[in-house]
Amino acid sequence: MPYSNYNDIQSYFTVAFDVVSMAIQRRRFVTAVGSGAVAGLAGCTALGRDDAGDANGPEISGETLTLTTTTSTYHTGLLDELNAPFQDRYGVTVDTVAQGTGAALETARNGDSDVVMVHARSLEDEFIEGGYGVNRRDLMFNDFVVVGATDDPASIAGSGETTSAFEGIAESGSTFVSRGDNSGTHTKELEVWEATGVADEFGEWYTEAGQGMGEVLVQADQQGAYTLADRGTYLSMQSELDLEILVEGPIEDGPEMLMNPYGIVAVNPAVHDTVNYDLAMAYIGYVTSLEAEKIIRNYTSEGEQLFFPEAISEEPNFEQYVPEEWERNE
Amino acid sequence: MLLEPTLWPALVAEFPFEWHYVRSIIYVSLYVSLVAVTLSTLFSLPVALLVGFKEFPGKGLVTSLINTGMGFPSVVVGLVVLFGVSNQGPLGELNLVFTREAMIMSQFVLATPVVTGVSLAAVSSVEQNVRDAAFAMGGTRADVALVTIKEARYGIATAVLAGFGRAISEVGSVLIVGGNIVGPDGHSKTRTLTTAIQLEARQGQFETAMILGAVLVVLVLVVNAVVVRLGSGNGGRY
Amino acid sequence: MTLEATDVCYGYDDEAVLEEVSLSVNRGEVLAIIGPSGVGKSTLLRLLALFDSPDRGRVTYDRNEVWTAPERQRLEYRRKIGMVFQEPSLFDASVRRNVTYGLRVRQSWRDRLRHEVASLVGTQNGTGDAIDALETVGLREKATQDAASLSGGEAQRVAFARALAYDPDILLLDEPTSDLDPRNTAGIEDAVYRARNRGIGVAIATHDMHQAERIADRVAVLLGNDVIEVGDTERVFEDPADERTQKFIDGELIY
Repeated sequence: MPYSNYNDIQSYFTVAFDVVSMAIQRRRFVTAVGSGAVAGLAGCTALGRDDAGDANGPEISGETLTLTTTTSTYHTGLLDELNAPFQDRYGVTVDTVAQGTGAALETARNGDSDVVMVHARSLEDEFIEGGYGVNRRDLMFNDFVVVGATDDPASIAGSGETTSAFEGIAESGSTFVSRGDNSGTHTKELEVWEATGVADEFGEWYTEAGQGMGEVLVQADQQGAYTLADRGTYLSMQSELDLEILVEGPIEDGPEMLMNPYGIVAVNPAVHDTVNYDLAMAYIGYVTSLEAEKIIRNYTSEGEQLFFPEAISEEPNFEQYVPEEWERNE
Repeated sequence: MLLEPTLWPALVAEFPFEWHYVRSIIYVSLYVSLVAVTLSTLFSLPVALLVGFKEFPGKGLVTSLINTGMGFPSVVVGLVVLFGVSNQGPLGELNLVFTREAMIMSQFVLATPVVTGVSLAAVSSVEQNVRDAAFAMGGTRADVALVTIKEARYGIATAVLAGFGRAISEVGSVLIVGGNIVGPDGHSKTRTLTTAIQLEARQGQFETAMILGAVLVVLVLVVNAVVVRLGSGNGGRY
Repeated sequence: MTLEATDVCYGYDDEAVLEEVSLSVNRGEVLAIIGPSGVGKSTLLRLLALFDSPDRGRVTYDRNEVWTAPERQRLEYRRKIGMVFQEPSLFDASVRRNVTYGLRVRQSWRDRLRHEVASLVGTQNGTGDAIDALETVGLREKATQDAASLSGGEAQRVAFARALAYDPDILLLDEPTSDLDPRNTAGIEDAVYRARNRGIGVAIATHDMHQAERIADRVAVLLGNDVIEVGDTERVFEDPADERTQKFIDGELIY
């Protein structure tokens, strides 16, 4: 993971400063909101100039953005690389809480985070339809792969089709390890099973690990079983595993079904007025910018590009703003 | 694997983390646990004295609570604290979710029954005669309480160490309420040694997890040694 | 200056231990309280030491009622009284720390804190009164020793010094030499003399009548639930007013 070099004394000061500034931050935030309300009432539009002591820069300087996201985005180390310039530019802190898709969205629903970055479109849609999220943007994508032991007991290697591969696994009764944790990967896996004809016929061969991608890959490795994995995590652990990619994802010309798109959504301030909406929008603006696109595109692991940015496009992409089934009125 | 002669020099030479990262997670672990145990001790000692020496309605209930609390599942505590400090919860105003303070709260809840229970045993074993003697010599109730604590000091030290052990070994609840957050510069906000170990393990990086585990064990041993040393050195006889 | 119990009654649950007992302890004298085991000598002493309040009756210090006075005042009275129990019950600390305890609790919290820090840092100096008290029991040289390392007799003597150190007006002793060998018993009795000669009023509960004969100026006989006789030692032993006293002295009365 890319950590920059600080010397020890500076880090101690940073800790002390952190503690003190967080205490001050809250008070300043409350004061700013309070005085902003008064100014607003008086018809004054100069919201930002109330805090006379803040000569350092923009009003949001010194604040904290809470971002909940999936474990796979976090583990690759992309976020550290992506967030650092944002922190520097605005003088803010991004607290990344890697929780897994389900938990990330739930935390946002509770108003405990300001913005979510996940990769489960159906769950994101549910989130937006519930009124909890606003201003969704497509961010980037990579893909999933179906991996298994080299001897491939269900003979799915080279199959260009995900559903038939899964059916093959079910029919041969070969062990399949599922994430079983309501994560983005798990959601995709269930979507695939839905599309097969065998979703109701699971036997002993189907196991739910209830754990993260890394652990599931280790489990599959040890049992010689199949599993669905995101390419990034698989690549980063490849050297320690005996598993092979048996069905490629769309990045390597595999089926579209294994596409793994990431979206970012701000928490609706109408539902929780305590969320830092300004900063969340600044962050979304940043990660969907040209600068971030470059960072994402250049981010590699083991020499391979992990994520493909899609926020910036000449062609309009209205579908990213609404739930997938949204019908267009002509 | 751990005994391979080439392992340790190689690990030291290419330690997989920047020192300032490890230092920051050690700092968070120690800060959260020490503050939690200190607060817990300040709370537990009066309770132990009360339960040990006074009759009051509901005493049996309190004793049961202490005993049950010692084995209380920590993840449940984490969930309860999370609910409490969440935006939706009663303490939502304080903005404590995903902070060290929330972690201190959950560790306080976990450590207190242990500290109280063991302290209770310690102070109960102080003979009534000694307490009477202190009283007879003109001590107030506060003086007698102080004498009791001093007489029971070894047991109480054990209680505090037990509480500290429980706190610093905590994974589940601090993960839930703290969020295992590290800044992009490698500086830990709410990541402790235990949650870092958990993180490495779930990614399959068992060797690095073991290294952090060794650091944690050494830390606990050092704290124990310091307390014991203080007890047998000057503090023992004075 | 007198510590006096008047018509005090005390009991546990349904059992009465003391019924309308009156007794006074005066400065500069030794009063022995004798009676069979379990008759209530300890209870009476505890009432005199202001540990508990009597169920009925009054306890007065220098004619001031103790139990109707405010707590602060009662503490002051209590602090003029010292008590030694049958077991030494020393603190787990040095002899010096034990003996100076009474002095320390009488200091303000700030002074106590200062002295505590000084002793932790190592700048210990013996307080004059503490040294005197140890001198009285002949154990001055053991000041820095651990209390736990003393023999039974030495420990009891230190307990005595502990009660003396803050110069009380009254000293109450509850069978202090029951567990001791003759030599240590003599040491304690010697200390009782010295205390008495300094003007302290000593009340000693004992089941050893010979001891009472040896050291007491006055004797009170506690039998049944009452003090049946009080008077000068010689008179009580040689010419008791109550025939039960005679029987007790002769060893006939067994409870």
